[in-house]
Amino acid sequence: MSRQGTRLDQKKVNSELFTLTYGALVSQLMKDYENVDEVNKQLERMGYNIGIRLIEDFLARTGTGRCYDFRDTAEKIQSAFRLYLGISPQIMNWSSSGDEFSLQFDSNPLTEFVELPDHCLNLKYCNVLTGVLKGALEMVQMDIASCFVQDHLKGDPCTELRVKFIKRLEDAIPAGED
Amino acid sequence: MSNGMTISIVKPKTSILDKSLSKGKGEVSLTCYALLFSELVQYCQNRVYSVPELQNKLAEVGQEIGMKLVDLNFVREKNYKREIKLLNMLLFIKSSLWKSMFGYEAEKLEHANDDERTYYIIEKDPLVNRFISVPKDKGSLNCAVFIAGIIEAILNSCGFAAKVTAHWHKGTTYMIKFDESVILRDKQMEER
Amino acid sequence: MTIHNLYIFDRSGILLYYAEWNRLKQSGITREEEAKLMFGMLWSIKSFVCKISPLDTKKGFLCYKTNKYALHYFETPTGLKFILNTDVNAQNVRELLYQIYRQVFVEYVIKNPECNLKEPIKSELFKSQLDAFVKQSPIFGLKSY
Repeated sequence: MSRQGTRLDQKKVNSELFTLTYGALVSQLMKDYENVDEVNKQLERMGYNIGIRLIEDFLARTGTGRCYDFRDTAEKIQSAFRLYLGISPQIMNWSSSGDEFSLQFDSNPLTEFVELPDHCLNLKYCNVLTGVLKGALEMVQMDIASCFVQDHLKGDPCTELRVKFIKRLEDAIPAGED
Repeated sequence: MSNGMTISIVKPKTSILDKSLSKGKGEVSLTCYALLFSELVQYCQNRVYSVPELQNKLAEVGQEIGMKLVDLNFVREKNYKREIKLLNMLLFIKSSLWKSMFGYEAEKLEHANDDERTYYIIEKDPLVNRFISVPKDKGSLNCAVFIAGIIEAILNSCGFAAKVTAHWHKGTTYMIKFDESVILRDKQMEER
Repeated sequence: MTIHNLYIFDRSGILLYYAEWNRLKQSGITREEEAKLMFGMLWSIKSFVCKISPLDTKKGFLCYKTNKYALHYFETPTGLKFILNTDVNAQNVRELLYQIYRQVFVEYVIKNPECNLKEPIKSELFKSQLDAFVKQSPIFGLKSY
């Protein structure tokens, strides 16, 4: 093999190219749909598609096994943000039952250079992230829901993503087996 | 991305203009970028009917990015001074710009033997094609049109009117065809 | 040492990819039928192995061996299944399977926008990279039959 996986892993891309590409994608969606809710949905759908692939890269790269509990999951999500976007959101505001937590972002390469115009105040600019989490965790048999409860772009002091565990998903049994 | 739309009246505590411009050295993983780009390609694909249409769409997105990159790069690196000589401009793209985007320089810059308006930037393994099989018939989609779009916007917004296309040749070759007037102007500058 | 063949299944049992190198005898049934039986067998072995385990099983089923060949099994937390048949003396096959996942599958299928993850893999790039990767492994060897 001329290309070793380990070397490929370390390859990085300038985060501004990433920021601008994501920005161009969002603005393309805004042009195509002109309906903010539809754009939010589309961003989540794209995130989902990214998530179901990204999880494989994460598992292959880190050699990580199944999570022990949801706290373990939260820490793995945090480490994935470090690995992929170079940021470390804080894990906080655990619910008493331990099935819900928040990720708080100080900086975020998706939103560098971004300012939301008036008619876009309902736009969930980073909604791709909710899709990524949904897709990635679904692949490891966890059904979760997430949404932004605070958004820096809308004047909140920080950006906060709330993540909620719903249920474990079971593998389907192949036909003819029980 | 404001896209020339109106500016928000609900003022964030700190406006984006109050923040100083970062050094631009931040990095994200290649995987992450590859997957985002893949979604972009698939999204565009679902909204067009043919490969040429898809190439145009990708080039358009690239152009939007190129224009913003020009501002960023020149504000940061050259203190608002832009290249005025054609060759310097091309070298800037091949070296500095490529390096800031992808972390390495493009392999080659060539001048066509038979046409003084045409230049080639050659890159064996562009980021956007790294995980895609090279098609057997070289006529099919080359996602590097996206990068061609970036280059085209950069050239155009720096006053070098040009058309840039991407081709499956020695990996990927970006063909840059300058407007006649650009060549003339450059010659006049030489003579001075 | 030698490598006979490789199956890659997705979580739901779709045969994503099949390749063979030194397979001297075919099963005599269609590839689809063979894949279905293979997936069903693995499912049964896996669940039974766990059921009769006298200890808490973490890794579960890894391989089985006959007097002629060995089947090696690697499953990712996402439910992808990689199965490699080798001769009985092959060592460190699990490591090889992990590398195939990490260095070939993730690189050329997961990151390839041409590949739909729910369909059999058609990418030429993946095919050639996998072939080269398997052939450079010491397990592939230069077999004497």
